[in-house]
Amino acid sequence: MEGADAETQREREREQQQQFSYQVFPERFSEGKPKRSFLHTSFCTHNQKCRLMLLKATELSPFVKLLLDAMKRSGCTVYRERHFSCEDCNGNVSGGFDAATSQIVLCQNNIHNQAHMNRVVTHELIHAFDHCRAHVDWFANVKHLACSEVRAANLSGDCSLPNEMVRFNFGLKQHHQTCVRDRALRSILAVRKVSKEDAQKAVDEVFESCFNDHEPFGRIPHNKSDAKRAHRDFQNRDRYYSNV
Amino acid sequence: MLKRRDAEGPGCKMADIDDSLWRPPRSCEHYWAEWKHCRTIRNFLHHYYTYGETPSCDQWKRDYQNCQEWEENGSPEAKQFLCKSEQARILAKQKHAPVWTMRQSPPRDWHLPLPGEGKSK
Repeated sequence: MEGADAETQREREREQQQQFSYQVFPERFSEGKPKRSFLHTSFCTHNQKCRLMLLKATELSPFVKLLLDAMKRSGCTVYRERHFSCEDCNGNVSGGFDAATSQIVLCQNNIHNQAHMNRVVTHELIHAFDHCRAHVDWFANVKHLACSEVRAANLSGDCSLPNEMVRFNFGLKQHHQTCVRDRALRSILAVRKVSKEDAQKAVDEVFESCFNDHEPFGRIPHNKSDAKRAHRDFQNRDRYYSNV
Repeated sequence: MLKRRDAEGPGCKMADIDDSLWRPPRSCEHYWAEWKHCRTIRNFLHHYYTYGETPSCDQWKRDYQNCQEWEENGSPEAKQFLCKSEQARILAKQKHAPVWTMRQSPPRDWHLPLPGEGKSK
């Protein structure tokens, strides 16, 4: 009976956290069912721009192309119409991954240029990739969320030197790790009702493992050339693993 | 974890018995390209920015030389060195225990229609 009580408590916690995160994505119903109005979405400028930038990201960004290949390889082929949704979001959030519907949300009111779209799509695809390959308890285990956020900040280009300088975060020696910790913390606090201390503790506990998990890139891609190199390695993995 | 397909080669252990099917895990041009890239100023900067130290590039050069040695002369020592080097790279990546349990198959609902859509008429 104690086990059943604990399970009920966990379920309740999961629902509460899900409700909290949906405040940021108001177009998703609390049950996780996104509303779809075809006429509205067809004629809304933000939505059209978002969909066009998404298309370009999937066709041209080496980061995104590698992740789409990796998803396919893992049995989670990504279809734009099914797995992406351009919506208006609250606050400064740029996007999110909704595990309940297996959808990536792109905040059409907060993404204004192609470079940003590329980064957001990469970031969210990393979450989707983690969801596809592992049992990630997004809502009830903050360490799981922290791990995926560390990986997304690390591998998406969020913390590149130019991006940090634009944010007036000037640092060089090992600054990438400082940025990853900071951005992972911010991401957790944006979508989960946890204290800053708990979120920080979770990031600290998982950092060593998750910062060094570079799948599917095999390396930390700092720019498009790195991402292209990583994609080439990914396409070569059959030969690699069968000859080691 | 992504599954590996054993379609192309016997792996280093099996190749000790019969190495006629074995070939280097990466092409020699690949090792050369990695070594060259490792030594660029840009990579030095990125590595320092990430890890707070300068990169070590010598292993890529050794791997390239061993790869060439294997391709040209079929040297078993060169093959062993190359195998050990790549195995060390893989072990270095597996040093940390994962935070989560890996799946044996993808999530069942990944391809299902969105809730409320795709109901039979």
